[in-house]
Amino acid sequence: MIPPIPTRDALIFVGVIAVAALLPKLGNEYLVAVALSFAMWVALAQSWTVLCGMTGYGSFGHAAFYGIGAYVQALAWGIVSPWLSVPLAGIASCLFALVVGYPALKVRGPYFVMLSFGLAEFMKYSIIGIEARLGQFSRLIIGAPSPNDLFLVMLGLAVAATLITFVVAGSRFGYGLRAIREDEQAAETVGIPVARYKLIAFGLSTFIPGMVGAVMAMRLSYFEPSQAFDPLISFNIVLMAMIGGSDDARGPLLGALFFVGLSELLWARAPQVYMIVLGALLIIFVLFAPQGLAKLLFGKTRPRAS
Amino acid sequence: MLPPTCDALAARLDNPQQNGLAVSALLSGQLLFAALVVGSVYVIIALGLNLVFGTMRLLDAAHGDVVMLGAYTSFWLFTLVGMPPLLSMLIAGGLCAGLGVAVYRGLFRRLLADTRLPRRLEGNSLLVFFGISIILQNFAALCFDTTPRAYLYLDGVIRVGNLAMTENRLAELATAAILCVIIFLFLRFHIYGLAIKALIQNRQAAAVVGVNIERIQLLSFAIGFGLAGIAGSLISMTEQITPFMGFPFTIAAFVTVILGGLGNLIRGMAAGMFLGFVEIYGVALTSSSLDSVLIYGVFIVVLYLQSQDFLGGRQKS
Repeated sequence: MIPPIPTRDALIFVGVIAVAALLPKLGNEYLVAVALSFAMWVALAQSWTVLCGMTGYGSFGHAAFYGIGAYVQALAWGIVSPWLSVPLAGIASCLFALVVGYPALKVRGPYFVMLSFGLAEFMKYSIIGIEARLGQFSRLIIGAPSPNDLFLVMLGLAVAATLITFVVAGSRFGYGLRAIREDEQAAETVGIPVARYKLIAFGLSTFIPGMVGAVMAMRLSYFEPSQAFDPLISFNIVLMAMIGGSDDARGPLLGALFFVGLSELLWARAPQVYMIVLGALLIIFVLFAPQGLAKLLFGKTRPRAS
Repeated sequence: MLPPTCDALAARLDNPQQNGLAVSALLSGQLLFAALVVGSVYVIIALGLNLVFGTMRLLDAAHGDVVMLGAYTSFWLFTLVGMPPLLSMLIAGGLCAGLGVAVYRGLFRRLLADTRLPRRLEGNSLLVFFGISIILQNFAALCFDTTPRAYLYLDGVIRVGNLAMTENRLAELATAAILCVIIFLFLRFHIYGLAIKALIQNRQAAAVVGVNIERIQLLSFAIGFGLAGIAGSLISMTEQITPFMGFPFTIAAFVTVILGGLGNLIRGMAAGMFLGFVEIYGVALTSSSLDSVLIYGVFIVVLYLQSQDFLGGRQKS
């Protein structure tokens, strides 16, 4: 199942992880914060790619899974240990995806994009409503693990997400997903279990975002629904995938690197200019460089649907 | 998104069991009037979206942000030079129409001309418009900061029986109704209106009978954006303006267009009104905090149900 790994790439990959894992030893808080944010976006963008890059079912609502993870973590805090609640958050968001995905994945193309967005916003406002009914406007998470430990967990999630995307991209399953993207009817005709593949991909692409949400809830040490379900999270993921390009594991890595670099440069200094730049980048990449940085840097890559 | 008087009413209705007034308030003209006003604005906004979406299948996710620009235009013209919004809406409409022309010329003519990727056109247009939406919102936030703004205009109250209507809401409703009639007549009798309808119905056939596709697309963009700008002026008379106010209108417009069908004006009007009623009565019956849950609930259900035959029918053609 596992595709052959070019030795050079594997060495670089392992080397980067090893260096990253040693970062907290330097004692530079800023560096760890940036690395955590990078690991988070890599984990999210890689997960997104499993469903959306490969099948072409673009989800504009991945914030929902991040948010559900964060919510589960906030609810479970103080009741079970984080070692249990983080995987639990992943399972919860995966289950939610399977329940919602069964009907939603019948809606195709841009309508799925809108539907996924609508579902995420619906979840956001529902949870705001529930929390308001419970008299909770934000939940504090007191005594969370140290940022260094959380960074290592997040690094693990990023590595896991990258490996999942890498393995899926080279597997029979991955080729099935790409066939769905190119022509769903034809894929069905040649015997690909289209509905089942889409649902599995959806489940796979939401498991890690749920865990990322849980870890981030601990990092921020509070949960507030309109922040945890911020549509900007979904937007950023899509943007990273568009900037990165390609439907294998390289695109999201490039996209996240570019994105985190840009946001470190601009976000704090001029948030509105930063958002305008993001909007312009989205337009530019869609219209002029639809295959993203992966194509610009590496030359050949598989065509990618949007 | 709710008019403030309505919020107060909704608050009063929050607890129907304890409040003997609830049922009579529900049946009174007050909610009906509020629903008509909200619905009529949705109709105008959705008419604009219908032109852009219908003629070119472009998913204009920035439509509500054009509404926002129209609202700011009227706000500044009123605040700085005292121009009444019923006049400045023409300027707002013109400016937004100009923006539509620029966006079409600059971005979408390319995208539409690329016949290799018709299948990806909708998805790409959604992303491009989303980019435009973010740019417009943050541009407005940069220029006008994020303070909610409002102005008082025609704020007298007219009473008919026990029904109290503010003059600005009446003006809003009347203007929207007149606009609807104008658009209706335009699409029914004017040669360009007929061409737009032809393009909505069948692109290839329209080209065959000599419709200048390029020009009609440009016109659709101009009218579609212009209507959104005018709707923004109308909304600015009664509601607070912020750089991020547009989004709910985008959602409402998509619900209306999908519910009403492409290029079908009568159904489109009914759908816009329906949404206005769902929002006002839904909130009155439940709670004003559920406003967004309701709208997105309708959005999801409509998208799921309608996109089945909507899309199925189109993908085959």
